[in-house]
Amino acid sequence: MGSLTLEPVSEQPLTLDAALSEEAVLSTYRRMFAALARDSGAVVDDPALVDIAETLFAAFAEAGEEWLTHEQMRFACRAYPGDQFDNRLRVLKGLGAIREVFPKPNQLRYRASFTSVVGLMFIRRMMDDGGQSEMHRLLALEDLNVADPRTTMDEARQSAANLARAFRLWALELITLTMGTIEELREQAPKLWGTEEIARRAQSLHGTILTRWPELDRVCTDLRSAIYAYSDASRRAAGRLADSAGTTRNLTLLPTETWRTFTQTASKERLASVLDDFVFDAPAPWHDPAAIARAVDEAPRPAPAQPTPPRSTLPDPGPGGSLDSSPGAAVERLAVVAESLLGASSRVALADVLGPDWPSARRLLADLTSVDLRPELPYRLVWSDDLTIDPARRPAWLSHGHLERTP
Amino acid sequence: MTTPDSLDSPESRASHAPAPVRDTAPHARAEAHVRARSGGPLRLHAGEPAPAGMLRLTRSDSSGEALPVWPDGATPSLLDEYQVTPVPVERSGETRRVLAACLTCCWPDLSADPWPGEPAPVELVLDTYRALIGRTDDLMRNWAIGALRRLHDSAWIVMSDGLVSLGPRCALWPVESHAQLKELVHRIPRPERSELTVVADADLVAAARPPVASDPATSAPVPGALAPAGDPPPAAPAEDPPPAAPAEDPPPAAPAEDPPPAAPAEDLPSAGPGGRVEEGTAEFGDLLDGYDERRRAELVAAFMAVEHAAEPVQEARFGALRDPALRRTLGEMLARRGRTLIQHRERWISGYDDGAAGAGVRLGEGERAVLTLVLVHSVAIPRAEGLLPEDTWASPHPTPVEELRRHTQLPIGELEAALRGLRHAGLLTQVKAGEEAGGYVPGPQFHRLTPVARRRLQEELILAAGPHTPLAAAVRARRTTR
Repeated sequence: MGSLTLEPVSEQPLTLDAALSEEAVLSTYRRMFAALARDSGAVVDDPALVDIAETLFAAFAEAGEEWLTHEQMRFACRAYPGDQFDNRLRVLKGLGAIREVFPKPNQLRYRASFTSVVGLMFIRRMMDDGGQSEMHRLLALEDLNVADPRTTMDEARQSAANLARAFRLWALELITLTMGTIEELREQAPKLWGTEEIARRAQSLHGTILTRWPELDRVCTDLRSAIYAYSDASRRAAGRLADSAGTTRNLTLLPTETWRTFTQTASKERLASVLDDFVFDAPAPWHDPAAIARAVDEAPRPAPAQPTPPRSTLPDPGPGGSLDSSPGAAVERLAVVAESLLGASSRVALADVLGPDWPSARRLLADLTSVDLRPELPYRLVWSDDLTIDPARRPAWLSHGHLERTP
Repeated sequence: MTTPDSLDSPESRASHAPAPVRDTAPHARAEAHVRARSGGPLRLHAGEPAPAGMLRLTRSDSSGEALPVWPDGATPSLLDEYQVTPVPVERSGETRRVLAACLTCCWPDLSADPWPGEPAPVELVLDTYRALIGRTDDLMRNWAIGALRRLHDSAWIVMSDGLVSLGPRCALWPVESHAQLKELVHRIPRPERSELTVVADADLVAAARPPVASDPATSAPVPGALAPAGDPPPAAPAEDPPPAAPAEDPPPAAPAEDPPPAAPAEDLPSAGPGGRVEEGTAEFGDLLDGYDERRRAELVAAFMAVEHAAEPVQEARFGALRDPALRRTLGEMLARRGRTLIQHRERWISGYDDGAAGAGVRLGEGERAVLTLVLVHSVAIPRAEGLLPEDTWASPHPTPVEELRRHTQLPIGELEAALRGLRHAGLLTQVKAGEEAGGYVPGPQFHRLTPVARRRLQEELILAAGPHTPLAAAVRARRTTR
């Protein structure tokens, strides 16, 4: 895998803007394989085509030693249009990424190339971080390689020269960005600039080579200056951004994960150190006398003690039981009241049936009104416009009316 | 606020000011004001004068405290007249009712000024508060104790050893408003205190005092004996709350006006009675005297507004902000207090001047840590995700309390104490959403950061969260070249 990933990285510029737009994705593909392409039209022009390849490789991995037939491959890629699939399969077959299981005519089963799958993994990773983690891996591998007793001086020279070239191109890319628009820099620089970790690893690699082969002095000087140029370009790009940004905009330049990790893992001292040099106001609310008086006036008042009505000390179930609550009871009672007033006649004047005792007259009127309002009872109240007033009589004011039987 | 046990905070904040306050250079004066604003009332050594623009609350041993006053007798109530929202007071109604209860208990002699008053047992204050609101449950008690703590933290009262006395800020009430306070104290119901209280209030007060070295004859009454009326010790008698009988109870310890050297035996060095208010020297005379009455009032109004508003105030609403010449004078007034004007488009507020801020009192470590966490969650992360477009430290994205409780390295107890302190100081605002949800966003104080401070805050966050990124390297490089 070392040699596999090493080649494209060292052979072509690391201009891997991993922006999210399709064009950016495509341009990454183009640049990645620029070193290998026969002509400029050789790289895919639709990111979906890469997805087809990925789907195919997944299907091959699933199938195991059963391999896949053409139909099975088509089925795995059923989400994509037929012509796209055919096109992709032709290219993949042509480049050897997908081959017949046995090189015989009329071969129906196919297998996928391990190398291509690894290559695709590599591409996806490059897309994510613009090659930074690839550089980390590369440096770690190279470090192991040069420490290996079997490594020859020529190999070490080659390795140092490749790295020097990569760092130089990386730095150039950053420098170009730093001189461009601030928006572009903001967008792309964080993917390109290196961390101190990368520079440190590169320097340690450089140290290992130089200690083991002092003769490689010249190529190591090259590597060293490339590393410095790269560190410097990183710092300059960051510096330009830091200068251009407002008072909080630069916060966007660290990814969310970095912030989250910081809040979750930082010690109290480290968190507190952020605000070491800041001064804030001590709590000093103003309590104006008028506001205090108002607060006292608005105090939730204690509920006034309400004396409970006096109760008999003897057990008293009350008159509840004397009420007949059966459904027809009320209607029956009202019918009895009406009949007792009417007797044998079909019509009786209210003035005649109301006694002088107003409380009982009132109760009777209430009952008669209920009678009138119940359509199932065959009685009604008929009121006239007459009103007689006689102070000596009770009731003194009398509006005249009759209780009648209805037919 | 500097210690987890926030009960001690006014003292501890004040004790952060080791350098004696000198009022010689304007620079020293500005620094003193910065210390008072960031740390609460300043401690003064014996005989040490208060810086210009500050009141001196002199104790009987001529040591004392200093705290800033406002020009031309203004108070922050002026903001109401201009319909400018002041910094919100946490649980304002409850806090003020508890302060009223304190005042009722600690101001026995209504013919004198409220400050310094007399110490009273915390339980008496709680009983008075209970009688005022007519509730006796535990919840009420917890709330009242929370309010006492906030009043203590903001130097409105001093609470120590189970005693409450009025704090330095009570000396800021203008004399004209004392009548209103007296009337209020008269209205507040007195608690029915059982005569069978095991220890009388007067004895509690006496016992809490440090042993009096000088003359035993003038010292506190014999413990256990009920204090008869007219007894010299200025303590609150148990069953007879002080202001009820001011007539036959002559003011024992010397109140405000005369500083009697004979009385020190009665005096507490720190929280005790005795003490007088000395008006400070005016600080803005030379700036304000040149203006007619109307302009002068405009300057004072704008000064109060930018210093005490919760948010930047509209330029159009204040003459002294509209007129460039007046605004310049306003800037000079602020500069004498180590402050500066900060512009947010057409609105203005004040903040610590970048040069003078170094003198200020820092927050405690726990509070700084929690504040950093909220800044990251409410500002840095939403910004990194593109959810917070505007260039500001204010944020509509609350940091969930659960996030702070579960996913940080801070112990819960310390977290809660820090949140309380930060909330009270207006550094965090609690956002409620339902019973359990909700969280905290940066509070109104973040409007008061100068552009330089805002930038520095951003840089400090980047240096802390990504110390090995080129961005951090660039920040460090820029700082060394400067």
